[in-house]
Amino acid sequence: MTATLNKENIIGQPIDRVDARRKVSGAAPYPSDFDLPGQVYAALISSTVAAGRITRIDRSAAEAAPGVLAVLTYDNAPTLADPPTNALGSTMRRPLKDDRILHYGQHIGIVVATTRAQALAAAELVEVDYAVEEPVLDMDDPRARVEDNPFGMETSRGDVVAALADADVTVDSTYTIGAETNSPLGLFTTVASWQGGRLVVHDTTQAPSFMRKALAVMFGVPEESVRLLIPFLGGGFGAGLRLWSHTVLTALAARVLDRPVKLVLSRPQMFTSVGHRAASRQRIRLGARSDGRLVAIDHDALAANGIGDNLPSPIVAGTPSAYACDNLATHERRVHLNIPYTGFMRAPGAIEEHFALESALDELAGRLGVDPVDVRLRNYADVHPESGKPWSSKALRECIEVGAEQFGWSSRDPAPRSTHDGDWLVGQGMAAATFEFYALDCDVRLTIDRGGNAILRSAATDIGTGTYTITAQLVAELLGIEVERVRVEIGDTDQPQAPQSGGSGLAGALAAAVQDAAGALTERLARLDGRPGESFASLLDRHGLDELSANGHSDLAAAAEDSDVAPAGAFGAAYVEVGVDEDLGLVRVRRLVSVIDGGRVFNRKTARSQAIGGAVMGIGAALLEEAAYDPNDGRVANGTFGDYLVPVNADVPDIDVTFVGEPDTFNPTGSKGLGEIGIVCIPPAIGNAVFHATGRRVRDLPITLDKML
Amino acid sequence: MSDIEYVRPTDTSSAVTLVAEDPDAAFLAGGTTELDLALKDRVIRPSRFVDIGRLPLRGVTREGDRLRVAALTTMEELAADPTVRSRLPFVREALLLGASTQLRNMATIGGNLLQRTRCRYFRDPAVHACNKREPGSGCAAIEGVARMHAILGAGPSCIALHASDLCVPLVAMDAEVELLDADGTRRVPLTEFYRTPGDRPDVENVLRHGELVTHVVVPLLPAGTRSGYIKVRDRQSYEFATTSAAAAVQVEDGTITAARIGLGGVGTVPWRAWEAERVLVGAPANERTYRAAAEAAIRDPFTVPGTAFKVELAKRTIVRILRTVTA
Ligand SMILES: Cc1cc2nc3c(=O)[nH]c(=O)nc-3n(C[C@H](O)[C@H](O)[C@H](O)COP(=O)(O)OP(=O)(O)OC[C@H]3O[C@@H](n4cnc5c(N)ncnc54)[C@H](O)[C@@H]3O)c2cc1C
Ligand code: SF4
Repeated sequence: MTATLNKENIIGQPIDRVDARRKVSGAAPYPSDFDLPGQVYAALISSTVAAGRITRIDRSAAEAAPGVLAVLTYDNAPTLADPPTNALGSTMRRPLKDDRILHYGQHIGIVVATTRAQALAAAELVEVDYAVEEPVLDMDDPRARVEDNPFGMETSRGDVVAALADADVTVDSTYTIGAETNSPLGLFTTVASWQGGRLVVHDTTQAPSFMRKALAVMFGVPEESVRLLIPFLGGGFGAGLRLWSHTVLTALAARVLDRPVKLVLSRPQMFTSVGHRAASRQRIRLGARSDGRLVAIDHDALAANGIGDNLPSPIVAGTPSAYACDNLATHERRVHLNIPYTGFMRAPGAIEEHFALESALDELAGRLGVDPVDVRLRNYADVHPESGKPWSSKALRECIEVGAEQFGWSSRDPAPRSTHDGDWLVGQGMAAATFEFYALDCDVRLTIDRGGNAILRSAATDIGTGTYTITAQLVAELLGIEVERVRVEIGDTDQPQAPQSGGSGLAGALAAAVQDAAGALTERLARLDGRPGESFASLLDRHGLDELSANGHSDLAAAAEDSDVAPAGAFGAAYVEVGVDEDLGLVRVRRLVSVIDGGRVFNRKTARSQAIGGAVMGIGAALLEEAAYDPNDGRVANGTFGDYLVPVNADVPDIDVTFVGEPDTFNPTGSKGLGEIGIVCIPPAIGNAVFHATGRRVRDLPITLDKML
Repeated sequence: MSDIEYVRPTDTSSAVTLVAEDPDAAFLAGGTTELDLALKDRVIRPSRFVDIGRLPLRGVTREGDRLRVAALTTMEELAADPTVRSRLPFVREALLLGASTQLRNMATIGGNLLQRTRCRYFRDPAVHACNKREPGSGCAAIEGVARMHAILGAGPSCIALHASDLCVPLVAMDAEVELLDADGTRRVPLTEFYRTPGDRPDVENVLRHGELVTHVVVPLLPAGTRSGYIKVRDRQSYEFATTSAAAAVQVEDGTITAARIGLGGVGTVPWRAWEAERVLVGAPANERTYRAAAEAAIRDPFTVPGTAFKVELAKRTIVRILRTVTA
């Protein structure tokens, strides 16, 4: 028997988060809330140069400082194995591997002391001398190593060169984006302890199952001997998708001392320790016929990555499937610099890709004299442009049309600089996008007990998006019980393995596994020969059973390989109105409409929150956020929340969110993932609105006031 | 580990003595600048904090056409004062556009005047080249990432900004600070209180070690004066000024008869735009005059690539505030 979501009694309902009360009352334990008996505290020693070698480390003063228990550096720490490549394809350099310095803020040691203050004070006493080399910090530095087609994802179809030459209208523009940091509110924390040969780690991670594997490999223990616990994360936005050196060092210190060790990163350390969206430069060439039909897309991307780092961060991967266009080529390069590790940051690659592509389309629309909305619709990809397969679902057209309607696009005067409001020029812009979800195999275990309560267990984490809540709703819907009767136990690798919460893939993967488990459980219950209308409680009771369980499994990535539809990601369109005070360079977002096709929506409230959160982050990317690297020594020169600006409430207008579309036909539960789509359209829509307001095209994010003067 | 002694005297003379007797002691008011520097950034290493929060130095009193503000009055309290509301509205605006409500409830007026620069190189102990912290060590900001830095009063030794909003209308108003130490009290005009860096960026003002700011005395605006404060920044709240300007002007029959202009976001000290005032007084209240005043205000700026845009932006900021207050 299978359980399917043919009803929407509970699923989709905008119920409050099941963990809301725990969160607002402070009862939900975030990583930094964990304290273990006998725990001691760690502080990191970080490199103050960006390139070179350590010529001397003197630990003696630190070792002699009050309360200090251990000082570990590359020359005295036990050697670990190299970490494995993670499921997303990234690998990192083993911490404390040798004397090489590859970026500013690199962790070159860890100090452990009885109190946190002692550890911090002692870390300052470690004397380090470097043989400093001139760091490679500029993407155009001839010394930089550049890889061509690093991800093997370059594609081409048709004849772009000829099509560009024949096109009635062309655009050739270069777009740059500064480095951005994920900046979750929660400071990343590791609390590690070795309990009878078993490593137990409370760690800020979005990928507990991978972390378990990585730590097992590095410490040379079986996977079962590592347990990751992360019931609540404190935000990640992708920063928790990689293995980071502070986690390894804390676990190492705990092993050396055989005591629980706690490390909480400082905000400045967050800027150099847990990844960031790499700076990038893209060149787009578009060719179109005078009727607005695209005949050529040539997209070239260059992005930064650390030295010794390997992050699969393709930018042009989505371009070939974005629009119907016969002639297309993509090119990708990656340049290695002495910068901190890069990472996955909300909608990685897609933000960059769409800022370039959707801005270039706006430029094209202007040249053609065709409405930007019509340009998107005239080149609408009804089937997947590469495979020719029908989409598993696609309501991008509806996103665009409904958005235009909600926003009042039809009354827009297409001429730039046409609308004034006091000192403000008013402009309106739009963009459309997709974000393909990335779902790996997922396991769950579903149990129903004699009290008629269900328990769903999985190693998956809730990064704050509402995983607890939608999982409870799914179980309740599929088993026909109330949400209050469902307990969700996640964030623990002693439970069935799960993919990362990232890539907009977890909800779909988890839901499919839950559905699978619910089917199996329903089947087992059916075999118990229930009476019509009989409750689970009485059924189990009658059979003398305390509980009944079933496992569930899903593997959407594998299923995608031989699917006869093209599995679609979420789609979205955004419409933005900005005011620009040209004299003073100020850009203010006045209105924002976001329309999203995420397939089946599991909870309209948490879904809306994702769309709003994405839009806010998109405003940050468009107007405020840039991690500034010192051109001489590579330090992050604005690594605090006083200096690195994220949007505050005053920057955010009311955000109008609408969901459209139907349950997806590829994903067994019909969802497509909503965590990232909400951010993707915002930067180009804002840039396009700024152009409409002023006639000035800023092709460099963020659009700060100095660029408007 | 360096322990910091913490004392909280209740009378001003002990507070002064407790700091004066120890060269490494420091006053602690609301702590919103001082604690960051000592505990988070760790660029100052006080041996002793003398918490002045219990001293009887709180509240605002009207003395004829002046306002006497005790140093421990918070930013929020001063903004809420009825006389400030009616007779110094641009002081209120500057206060409320600064920091955040939470900070303004902790931050004191004395502390605001004495807040330290936000220059990130100053605030990072791993940076060696900072003349303000270590005279003669160089200036990392000049060759580095500079944006929230000064273009007026700046030079090759230091381009650190005095980032206060409050001080901008206060210098424009010829406010005075009352200081107390073992030798007694003295009064210093705010325009003479601060020191531009010159070759001693570490010396920021005329305050002697152990000298306490007890009051700030602010003349009230004459009736009929129009005033305003404008703060230009990327983020709409909770950000320091990229540029800012305070203006108070009187206009009679289309002619400017009195003008006071202060500038923020551009100076190593809160900047009084004397030259702009001279251009304004006696001139017709129109765009040409405002632009001429702006040109006069931003003379001989010292810029680096990251701050060059401020030259034009500051001028436009001045024009905008003049246009606004004379509208
Ligand atoms: C995130 C953030 C944002 C901010 N944004 C703004 C802004 O937008 N605009 C703005 O104007 N300010 C802003 N500030 C600065 C804030 O206004 C100052 O930190 C505050 O006014 C300092 O007052 P305090 O009482 O906390 O001083 P403290 O931090 O206690 O002291 C500051 C300094 O003054 C000395 N001191 C204090 N009182 C006296 C006294 N009576 N006599 C002698 N010495 C004294 C102390 O020794 C110390 O050196 C911001 C601060 C932060 C942290
Ligand atoms: S600008 Fe001044 S405070 Fe900043 S680094 Fe240079 S000398 Fe130091």
